[in-house]
Amino acid sequence: MNILGISAHYHDSAAALVVDGVPVCAVQEERLSRHKGDATFPLLAVDSCLEQAGIEPEELDAVVFYERPMLKFDRILTCALRAFPQSWRAFPKAMKNSLGEKVWMRGIIASQLGVPGRKVLFTEHHQSHAAAAFLTAPTHRAAIMTADAVGEWVTLSVGDGERVQNGPTRIRSFREIRFPHSLGMLYSTFTAYLGFKVNEDEYKVMGLAAYGRPTLVDQVRKLIGRTPDGAFALDLNYFEFHTTAERSYSSRFVELFGPPRNPYEPIDLETAEGQRFADCAASVQRVLEDTLVEIARALHQETGLEDLCLGGGVALNGVANARLLAESGFERIFVPPAPGDAGCAIGAALYCDRIHFGNPDRDLPDHPFWGPSVDGSELARLAREDGHFAMELEERALIDQIANDLVAGHIVGWMEGALEFGPRALGHRSILAAPHTTEMRDRLNREIKYREAFRPFAPVVPSGAAALYFDIPPGGERLARFMSGVFSVRPAWRPRLEAVTHIDGTARVQVLEPAMAPRLHALLEAYGERTGIPVLLNTSFNLAGEPIVNREVEGYSTFLRCKIDVLVAGGTRVLKRTSATVKPEADKLKEEVA
Amino acid sequence: MLAPVHRWIWSDTDRRIQKLLRFGETETDGGRDILRAAEVTSDPLLRRLYLEHALDEFRHGVLFRRRAAALLKVSHSHLDSGFHGDWLAPGGHGLDDLQVDGESDSDMLAFLHLSEKAAASRFTVYRDVMQHDLLTRAIFEEILHDETFHMGYTLTQLARVEPERHKRHLWRARLSRLWKAYLRLASGLAGIMGSFLLTIQYFFLLAPFAWLAKRAARRECSGWTPVSPGRSDSLDRQY
Repeated sequence: MNILGISAHYHDSAAALVVDGVPVCAVQEERLSRHKGDATFPLLAVDSCLEQAGIEPEELDAVVFYERPMLKFDRILTCALRAFPQSWRAFPKAMKNSLGEKVWMRGIIASQLGVPGRKVLFTEHHQSHAAAAFLTAPTHRAAIMTADAVGEWVTLSVGDGERVQNGPTRIRSFREIRFPHSLGMLYSTFTAYLGFKVNEDEYKVMGLAAYGRPTLVDQVRKLIGRTPDGAFALDLNYFEFHTTAERSYSSRFVELFGPPRNPYEPIDLETAEGQRFADCAASVQRVLEDTLVEIARALHQETGLEDLCLGGGVALNGVANARLLAESGFERIFVPPAPGDAGCAIGAALYCDRIHFGNPDRDLPDHPFWGPSVDGSELARLAREDGHFAMELEERALIDQIANDLVAGHIVGWMEGALEFGPRALGHRSILAAPHTTEMRDRLNREIKYREAFRPFAPVVPSGAAALYFDIPPGGERLARFMSGVFSVRPAWRPRLEAVTHIDGTARVQVLEPAMAPRLHALLEAYGERTGIPVLLNTSFNLAGEPIVNREVEGYSTFLRCKIDVLVAGGTRVLKRTSATVKPEADKLKEEVA
Repeated sequence: MLAPVHRWIWSDTDRRIQKLLRFGETETDGGRDILRAAEVTSDPLLRRLYLEHALDEFRHGVLFRRRAAALLKVSHSHLDSGFHGDWLAPGGHGLDDLQVDGESDSDMLAFLHLSEKAAASRFTVYRDVMQHDLLTRAIFEEILHDETFHMGYTLTQLARVEPERHKRHLWRARLSRLWKAYLRLASGLAGIMGSFLLTIQYFFLLAPFAWLAKRAARRECSGWTPVSPGRSDSLDRQY
């Protein structure tokens, strides 16, 4: 049975194909269209999935959209009516936006893919999140919690799931919190207030929080109160996201927290103003964590289950995830590699397979590598055409050479196998570097990633060595599998892991098992043999404002535009000609052709 | 002829900031599209040239943004209250409507040549009316220097790639730009008309429904909402 899952039209659209109960491909549209956060209908991603599986659209048994468009429209219209007459500016935009395309998903899918409308199905947004979290996790019975900004109406839901090997699957939702009361919207409002992009830069707020103190927790608690039944409710006097698309916080919010940050002014943490912004971030982070922990603790007491599956964009908050593990009572927490809306594509397809069609449960491969693959020989061809140094090496020689490069302080663009699904680079499209000094961190920020100095870089460590360098609690290795948890770097190692240790002594570590990415694991071992520390800095292979690279040609063009020293794809290693050669040649080229 | 209008537009600091920010976004987005062209072309020389071109565009974007930020700092503009760059350039790609992946090298070169030429003529006007702001003027001056190279190489390469038919490609690109301009104008007008009609409906038709919706909202309890079993069993429904 071939089932295609699609998520689109909010942010980060994606497609995923499930064949006979197992995903064979999942990819975000942005990785193919090269437009970051591409929310358009994921036609390229659909084509990629079908091509990878070698099937035609007419062979699809179902195409599942990740939410119910009319239910979402119901929310948008109802909110506009409730905000009457303040919503008069937002109303025409919202209606044109929804009625122009978004509510006609059955027709759009049928016409774009050439499948009959009866084959087009719809899951609920949080059902898709729940399925993506539970059905991809190696657990057979778990509590499920999903939280994001908003789906159709739901912003947070709790429930449980059970699956029997080769038997039936059940996913239940017990209860939910509905829009406009939303933890995701609360966090996004602070994201906007702090001058970052909503739905994109929430992780910057988390990074900034480590530089602040939660001195404004009382003020944040004025925005979000707890209800007697253990849920929460926002005080809407402080928000405007439910009445207008232009600003998410109100004047009362500004009275409470002070003037918002100008997005074009860098945050200077040495100034009182910069510290105020960091304190805001720390305070909303603390309140988010406290709220999640209390809800999860109640869910644990109610279900008595050991495992929790977390889904939705809020599950990208690694600091909150680590606190949930420590304080909620659950022994293991599973966060999929793509807990956000992109991951709903895979969730919707799996939900349809297991629940709608009632197909028997199957264990799934426990990795994030579901996208297109790279070809080392193609990279060698490109590099040679441009006169760069390309070497095609045997496996062991390549590992040794790259380990030597890293020891020598080179920065390596690393492309291997299939592309990751989800926002994290987990070892197949990564920039790797030595993790030991702040100079390396600053160099990466200054010369390659061009990003704010307060944002940390993540380490990757083999599973066998993780406990030596990082204080990972029981169950933490699972969270760290897909970089979903933030844990302390052991104090003794902090001076030697400066580039990956955040200001508060933590790191968003990836713990790598050999089976998940054998070549990167071998590289870590080889690097460890040379330096005594088998840890590398691992950051996503992209430049600021661009999606993570997909094909070798995109890695190559990124390599040429920044100061990555070495590029690897498959068995090919490429070095740039020295800058002393490249610059005059570029000038000569300009003169010649002009 | 439009110099006085441009002089008036650029004389106001807030408008200047907004325009510079929008230009910054446009240059950066254009750079991304040209970078994409570098990634999809099979011609090694074009790949190198597109890459240089893309780097120039990214640098222009940075120049515009930095200047806008500097002006924003000294102007203490009210823009910084809840101000986001997003709505200044909504979905603004420098080479809007151009599907880089589907274009041939010759079509891409013809399009680039014309858009660089148009940009150069606009920037010349902006530079000339910028007597009162020498730092911004210097940015336009620097960018114009690059645009000259971009215009030159795109034409030279078009003649190399399509020696026989390069003029035809240029004409086709001109017509395509004209058609796209018409489409933009038409969709802009349709958007305005749509907004107008929806706003009228909003005030004249929705008021009673708004009253009902508000009354229903008052009855809603905050907190948990129980989920009834089987609520979403059917995947056929869109609601």
